[in-house]
Amino acid sequence: MLASYLPLLLVVAFVILNAIMMPGISVVADLLLRSNRPTAVKRSPYESGMPTLGEAGERFSVKYYLVTILFIVFDIEAVFMIPWAVGFAQLKSMSGLLLIEMLVFMLILVVGYIYVWKRGAFEWD
Amino acid sequence: MMKAPDVAALRAKFGPACERSAVSNGDHIVWVAKARAHEILAWLKTDQGYAYLVDITAVEYRDPELPLEVVWTVRNLKTVQELRVKVGLDPKAALAVDSVVDLWKGADWLEREVFDMFGVLFIGHPDLRRILMWETYAEGYPLRKSFPLRGHFSRSEQTRQALAGQPESHYSLEELSIADEYQNLPPDVRERLKQGKRGFVE
Amino acid sequence: MGLTLPEGAGTTVSSMSPNWMTTRMDALVNWGRSNSLWPMPFGTACCAIEFMASAAARFDLSRFGMERMSFSPRQADVLICAGRLPFKLAPVIRKIWDQMPQPKWAISMGACASTGGIFDTYAMVQGIDTIIPVDVYVPGCPPRPEGLIYGITLLQKKIRGESLLDWDLRNEQMTGPDGLFVPARKIDEVSEPFGNSVHQTRSA
Repeated sequence: MLASYLPLLLVVAFVILNAIMMPGISVVADLLLRSNRPTAVKRSPYESGMPTLGEAGERFSVKYYLVTILFIVFDIEAVFMIPWAVGFAQLKSMSGLLLIEMLVFMLILVVGYIYVWKRGAFEWD
Repeated sequence: MMKAPDVAALRAKFGPACERSAVSNGDHIVWVAKARAHEILAWLKTDQGYAYLVDITAVEYRDPELPLEVVWTVRNLKTVQELRVKVGLDPKAALAVDSVVDLWKGADWLEREVFDMFGVLFIGHPDLRRILMWETYAEGYPLRKSFPLRGHFSRSEQTRQALAGQPESHYSLEELSIADEYQNLPPDVRERLKQGKRGFVE
Repeated sequence: MGLTLPEGAGTTVSSMSPNWMTTRMDALVNWGRSNSLWPMPFGTACCAIEFMASAAARFDLSRFGMERMSFSPRQADVLICAGRLPFKLAPVIRKIWDQMPQPKWAISMGACASTGGIFDTYAMVQGIDTIIPVDVYVPGCPPRPEGLIYGITLLQKKIRGESLLDWDLRNEQMTGPDGLFVPARKIDEVSEPFGNSVHQTRSA
């Protein structure tokens, strides 16, 4: 059965080789043929010929971080629900117990949700 | 067609301070005494409705006997009247007039340009420094008749001074604060700005 | 002629003598470089309008590979100074030139960029070659698009004559210790007035 995957392996190997060789050859050709003359002024940041005014790296708002963390937590909760749903469908005799068990799981996470809500993490501004 | 401005009213109010008047190609010009120039311009703005300052400039004539004139052009937008007010200064003496920045905010840069090109000091100007030439331009005042066309320094010296110029120092503290950039400047630039290391006059 | 090359000008070919490999490589690299010159249009005045006209449909610069104007020096090959340069702008063009990576060339477009043009005054640089090294001068006020295109083809010819063995060719020419790129007496020499300008030295 594995033998039928051989053409696919060849294609993937060719693609990987291509992905390495094409930029690799460009980089090697560049290293051989370029004229590299770095100077201090050349490396300085470009601001239309003027001395630079201000910092380049601006600070991000923390709300993006909060949204990301909350997404991960509740997404993993959803991920746990999916195999639970498969088991729930197959074990019809224990459906009441399974349902209570999942509701308890969700309740624990809802407690955390209410805490986050009260702390104001859902306020965008 | 523009209506003629009311020069008679000006003459009636200020008498001898309004020295003479003329009409040239449809433009009405009035010469006033330097000491009362600010008062006259304020009266023109508040009383006569000349709310728009068109330009401030200066003229130095070819004949050395003629005075160096500072020219204000004011316009009444409601009645569409334009009046040119001139003050004569002695070109051989120190040149100074009162600033009209308190009347028209736009006079700020106009007076800086006259200072840069003619060396006329505007007493009461908040930030009188060069605007067209660079801050530390040391050759003099380019539009004076005594200034040669190519400048006083040699071309190599001018190039050297130009290449050594710091474009950053053109900004004033106020301009930088408008751009919210003052706190982002490196500390030595901030020191330089705070100490006022520019070619301006108190 | 009293003009001599400044110190450090001229190039030295390395000890490796050109052979069929290097000449073929030169031909390939120079063909690539000359046919894909990305200009940095340093347009200050009227010549910039004429440059825009050259880039537009009738006189199309894109057939020379110059379609993509680069307004960042980092991605540009050739700096086209189109227009007069005031002294106040001199440190700006010097910095932009310094920030362009090698290989780079400069075209001085128009009379003002080449010699100062009609502006022999206190405020204008008398030719950008007192500040940056120029490869091609295009005369005109402004030069017609055909004139600029002729200058570009001259530059392409110059590029095709370059060699990878020429190590000093791509050296950066920095400003000297006195802050000048060209020696002071050379600047004064080339800025001497001539023609009708000699009558304009009087003041008052």
